[in-house]
Amino acid sequence: MAHIDCNFYSPSLEKNAHVIVFLPSVNTDEFPVLYLLHGSTGGCMSWCLKTGIERYAQDKGIAVVMPSGENSFYLDMAHGEKYLTYIGKELPEFMRTMFPLSEKREETYIAGLSMGGYGAYRAGLEFPETFGYVASLSGSLDLCLLLGSDKARAGMESDSYMRAVFKDVTQISGSRDDLIALLKLQMAEKIDLPQMYMNCGTQDAIFPVNESFYQTAAALGAEIKYERFPGEHNWDFWDEHIKDVLNWLP
Amino acid sequence: MGFFQVNFFSQALGFDTEINVFIPTPNSDEILNHKKSDYLRRGVKFQTLYLLHGAFGDYTDWMRMTSIEKYAQAHKIAVVMPSASNSYYQDMFYGSAYLTYLTEELPEIVTKMFPLSTKRENTFVAGLSMGGYGAVKMAFQCPQQYAACISLSGAIDIIKVYEDVANHLMDAPAGWGFAFEDTEKIRNSEADLFQLIENCKQKKVALPKVFQSCGTEDFLYQVNLSAKEKFEKLGIDLTYEEHPGIHDWDYWDTHIQRGLDWLPLKNDSIEE
Repeated sequence: MAHIDCNFYSPSLEKNAHVIVFLPSVNTDEFPVLYLLHGSTGGCMSWCLKTGIERYAQDKGIAVVMPSGENSFYLDMAHGEKYLTYIGKELPEFMRTMFPLSEKREETYIAGLSMGGYGAYRAGLEFPETFGYVASLSGSLDLCLLLGSDKARAGMESDSYMRAVFKDVTQISGSRDDLIALLKLQMAEKIDLPQMYMNCGTQDAIFPVNESFYQTAAALGAEIKYERFPGEHNWDFWDEHIKDVLNWLP
Repeated sequence: MGFFQVNFFSQALGFDTEINVFIPTPNSDEILNHKKSDYLRRGVKFQTLYLLHGAFGDYTDWMRMTSIEKYAQAHKIAVVMPSASNSYYQDMFYGSAYLTYLTEELPEIVTKMFPLSTKRENTFVAGLSMGGYGAVKMAFQCPQQYAACISLSGAIDIIKVYEDVANHLMDAPAGWGFAFEDTEKIRNSEADLFQLIENCKQKKVALPKVFQSCGTEDFLYQVNLSAKEKFEKLGIDLTYEEHPGIHDWDYWDTHIQRGLDWLPLKNDSIEE
């Protein structure tokens, strides 16, 4: 139906938010919705500019909400904006108020690439009552492993921004920002977790970060559908394999 | 306000078009200054103003040239700003069906997309110059949809405009030759707003209220005086204002505020 460029004041960010929304041309009262997150150095326009997401979403008949998350890892930053609260709570509430979007958990999905893959899992596992499905493409899923490696971190973010996001990177392990730890916590509390999907290119520098996360999560008994494809950490991969995410969604 | 730039395919126009939309959402001013900010809730609806540009303009004009966002925020009214090219708000003889787009397709799309009231009593249309004509045209073309219309410096009396152009008293408006098959045929057609209103009256439907404002130094001042007389003769519920001013954005930025004050606004969201 429409491509919508949204600007509004976000109380949880305490500044204006910029979001791209796509609504498909489908005759329905309420759309299933995919929250789709960009990677670090990206913005809310990234998916639209660099992939055919609008066409794929039209074929699937779902709405897509693409927010901006700066380089925040979609976390409530130690010294900065509360992106986790924004993405997981405020944004779904705002979007459901503004547009005809389904409120149902089983029709609310969240996915992202790289940092956004981490963000999708972080928000999906924190707010499992909101999101029924989470998916990651080339995600920074094992954050401890990623941030522990200078090579993987190099050029990703400035030191000042990293200081803003993380109080202390050495303290991530075991905290709720450690997806494995969060997964353990939620499983121990018998929380009804979202369905989980992940994929990664086998030539991607953070392929080991994905392998490691998957192995550990699987060992815990978490059910994750994992697909490995030839490919690197680039838009060719994400344009192609976002289709696998959409095919996996109900 | 939430500010939304929407791009979509219009079946009536046959191509992609854009609209700018403001929906009242709490802003930092309301929060910091403890003003009313509890109006945005799931399920509420907003009163809506369709706001039309003039000749040479498009959907960005009102936003760029006035403080419409601030005024609409104060009144908690949604604003929808479409593009109508130089169509004179007609289904063009040489061009696209802008009137159908604006009165049929657009309301259906935006009321489905955004939390906008679908009730007549909450739906208004305003415009400047060619858009002033367009506001009155839309309101009386579909009197069941619009409770009120606002014309600022409107080229309302199209017959008078036509005569003035023929007598070389005025330049022809942009796109004049495209909207109509033959400008001779405007007379006795529903492009003549007073013919349209006459036809409306015979259908015995509730008619929209009209707010008409024009600058006394505007080149359309005489056209507005003539229109005022015709509205009055037809017994239309008219509020007429004239103020010092010319055909420019200073006038429209000032007097759209008087138009908003005149509208029957609830200054709040609506539970529907």
